[in-house]
Amino acid sequence: MASDVLVIVPALDEEASLPRTIEEVRRVAPGVDLLVVDDGSRDGTSDAARRVGVPVVRHAVNLGVGAALQTGFRYAVERGYSIGVQLDADGQHDPRFLEPLLQPVREGRSDVVIGSRYVARTGYRAPIARRLGMLVFSGVVRAVLGRRISDTTSGFRAYGREVMRVCQHDFPRDFPDAPLLIDLVRRGFRCVEVAVEMREREAGQSFYTLGKSLYYPYKNMLASLMVLLRRPAGR
Amino acid sequence: MEFLSRAQLITALGAVLLAVVVLDLVRRRRLAEEYSLLWAVASVVGAVLGFSTPLLQGITRALGILYEASTVFFFGLVFTTTMLLFLSVKLSRLGQDHLTLTRELAFLRHELERLRGTAPEKREQA
Repeated sequence: MASDVLVIVPALDEEASLPRTIEEVRRVAPGVDLLVVDDGSRDGTSDAARRVGVPVVRHAVNLGVGAALQTGFRYAVERGYSIGVQLDADGQHDPRFLEPLLQPVREGRSDVVIGSRYVARTGYRAPIARRLGMLVFSGVVRAVLGRRISDTTSGFRAYGREVMRVCQHDFPRDFPDAPLLIDLVRRGFRCVEVAVEMREREAGQSFYTLGKSLYYPYKNMLASLMVLLRRPAGR
Repeated sequence: MEFLSRAQLITALGAVLLAVVVLDLVRRRRLAEEYSLLWAVASVVGAVLGFSTPLLQGITRALGILYEASTVFFFGLVFTTTMLLFLSVKLSRLGQDHLTLTRELAFLRHELERLRGTAPEKREQA
């Protein structure tokens, strides 16, 4: 029987690191299905995925990491998957942590599981600007929700089917971070963090370029405020 | 007809020219009627301010502006701001449409590759 877990790999110009990431996921978690969402790459990302036998949905133009993930959600919902896992193509996310990430959703304890670098002490050291951003947005989440989410920027997450069903219609196009988590919790979804370790990226470029890193705090502050001003959307 | 300054005359003639250009663009289907509305309003306001000196003076006094020319600039600024905001809203909408279409295309292409048997597919559609 096919898996009920779909690992969604949003990828932008990740031809070099993608095959190794896929190979590692298959070796560590042979029971899961994979989907690569090629977000308008200019290199051979799609071909690299096809060569190793992974289905590819390719955006003709670059839409943003959130949009790529949303495409994966729609794919997962349409094909009946119960859990979708977001996993970066660049090798930063260690697939050994897939199981702990999936467990809370499988056991019905949570709808969204964030793989956090800060629940337990790990070797990961983010650049100072990024650390500052994480601190600020963790503070925003705490102020709004009255609870702590230590790693709002982690892109290593598991989403339950109901969350994916909602998110396929309404999801931030870029930076699906603090405002998204606030929105999901306000909608009544349960969110937990589990400890993961992350590695340095192997090749390719990050979705977060310099221009975007300047736009990031503005956008996330505004989006967080907007989430608060809107009436909590239903499921 | 008495003009307060050459600037007022230029405003009046500019408004007429703008109206002609806007109408011609609509005629040649280069500008949609929907987008011509704000431009049409701008030409009418410009023409009124340009051709009617007493009205320009009255509006200037009513708004507490010191010079008539500033009133013309004030309306120009209001128009520019409104137009930019309008276009930003339209652009946001177009961005959303663009996303939807791109995603739809991505799925169609994936489906096509699957049907041709060129795409790996582990799982049949539920």
